[in-house]
Amino acid sequence: MTMAQLAAPAIDSAGGLDPLGAAAAKWTAIGLSTAPADRDTAAEAVRIAYTSVGLPAPKHVVWFDSPLAGARAAALLTGRRGLPGPRGPESPPGGDLADLLQTQGCPPSPGSAGVSVRAAVRTEPWTAARDQVRTALGPDGWARLWTACGAEVWRAVTDHVAAPLRAHLRAVLPPLVGGADPASAVLLEGGGGQHDAGWLAAFDAAEPSIMATGAGPTLVRAAQRLAGLGGLARSAGWWWPYADVAILTERPGGVERDNDGRLHSATGPALHYRDGFAVHAWHGEPMPDDLPERLRHITRRRILGEPDADVRRALLEHYGYGRFMREGYGHQVASDDCGVLWRAPLGDAETDEPLLAVEVPDGDRTWWLRVPPQTRTAREGVAWTFGLAEEQYRPLIEV
Amino acid sequence: MFRQGDVLLVPIEGSAVPATAVPAPRDRAGRQVLARGEATGHAHVISGAGVRLLADRDNLDRLFVQVDEAGVLSHDERPEVAVPRGHYRVVRQRRYAPDPAVPPAPGQRR
Repeated sequence: MTMAQLAAPAIDSAGGLDPLGAAAAKWTAIGLSTAPADRDTAAEAVRIAYTSVGLPAPKHVVWFDSPLAGARAAALLTGRRGLPGPRGPESPPGGDLADLLQTQGCPPSPGSAGVSVRAAVRTEPWTAARDQVRTALGPDGWARLWTACGAEVWRAVTDHVAAPLRAHLRAVLPPLVGGADPASAVLLEGGGGQHDAGWLAAFDAAEPSIMATGAGPTLVRAAQRLAGLGGLARSAGWWWPYADVAILTERPGGVERDNDGRLHSATGPALHYRDGFAVHAWHGEPMPDDLPERLRHITRRRILGEPDADVRRALLEHYGYGRFMREGYGHQVASDDCGVLWRAPLGDAETDEPLLAVEVPDGDRTWWLRVPPQTRTAREGVAWTFGLAEEQYRPLIEV
Repeated sequence: MFRQGDVLLVPIEGSAVPATAVPAPRDRAGRQVLARGEATGHAHVISGAGVRLLADRDNLDRLFVQVDEAGVLSHDERPEVAVPRGHYRVVRQRRYAPDPAVPPAPGQRR
């Protein structure tokens, strides 16, 4: 089975579509999917991933509802911590690991997972496939392929979702698995599943482009190496491959993103799993779990009293710069054909950086652009938003 | 220079386009997209005879437009902009955010 067979067709040559753009769109959708895992497909993909590198398939394939629960199970089954106690009101998301393992026919015995086989089933096939494709395409061809397909998926999936998720896990795991080092080690033994879309996209897209060069057989061999990982990406979330047990996890139940594709939500978690594990974020910045509650009960006093700069920015943006300025906290500093520059003190005028924003009319809408505190005119502020000096910003046409 | 919403085309000399510039990624419809809203789905698209969107392969955020004849910048919610022959640097509008990693001015906190 090749990756192309595992993934839905990306190319519609009759429709004049761009094959690389189509592959990027397809793998971005895979990476951001919130559908329940396709457990049969994932289990078959695990078998392919193991057996294609000469390993026997694992004795047990077990499922958990989030990467947090999966990491805790990995810590338990590799003997990094003892059996957790029964579930109580303070139990972390994921529930009673021992019960969940027992019901799936896997004894919850510390150390029973066997050694990590991540390098054999993931790192080595990936390295070999990359070398084959690079050799077939040449350095420039590989760079063009990556530019046209992989980079965009990498940004959308790896940079904007998987990396913040990993950072959040690193923050919440240590108390659950016993200190920082076991937590980091457990995370290093996992695979991304759907979050491997960032690099799998380019290998999938290489197929048609390499075929055109006459290097088709090379490509097919490279794709075959990645068939198991491609199948897992298309059907499941993060996973942990060990010699005797493969720990698989569900995809998230929801992913909320802003217009730049970053994790973002004012009303709930930006990323959440079905067992309650969640990541809160504001335009990509990690936020405390009570952010939605704070936003619901926002007041100017609470904004001004917030000591964390990132949280204060979230509160301010949600409240609205215009509302904040017009309710008496701000005053107009300057006005020109680019808009009106407003200024408001934040907290202690002597020690806190003030808030400056340009009010820009745009048809029947008004934009408020936050600008650096040293800005003197509206034009200077708008010019800064485009990386230009005030005297450089002279659009001939502006619509 | 030409502005359409949060995208600005700044004229540059052809020699200012880096040697590492390569054809930029196209979307699945084959369009040359300067910027796209992930939530709204709206895109700024450049098209026309002899129009090429280029990306610096060492930094894909650096985009350039080469117009050999005449180009058109289009968007779902904004008027089209005619773009004359020339080379342009693409600038996406940003907003100021205090960076906790950068120390504030002496005596100030954010």
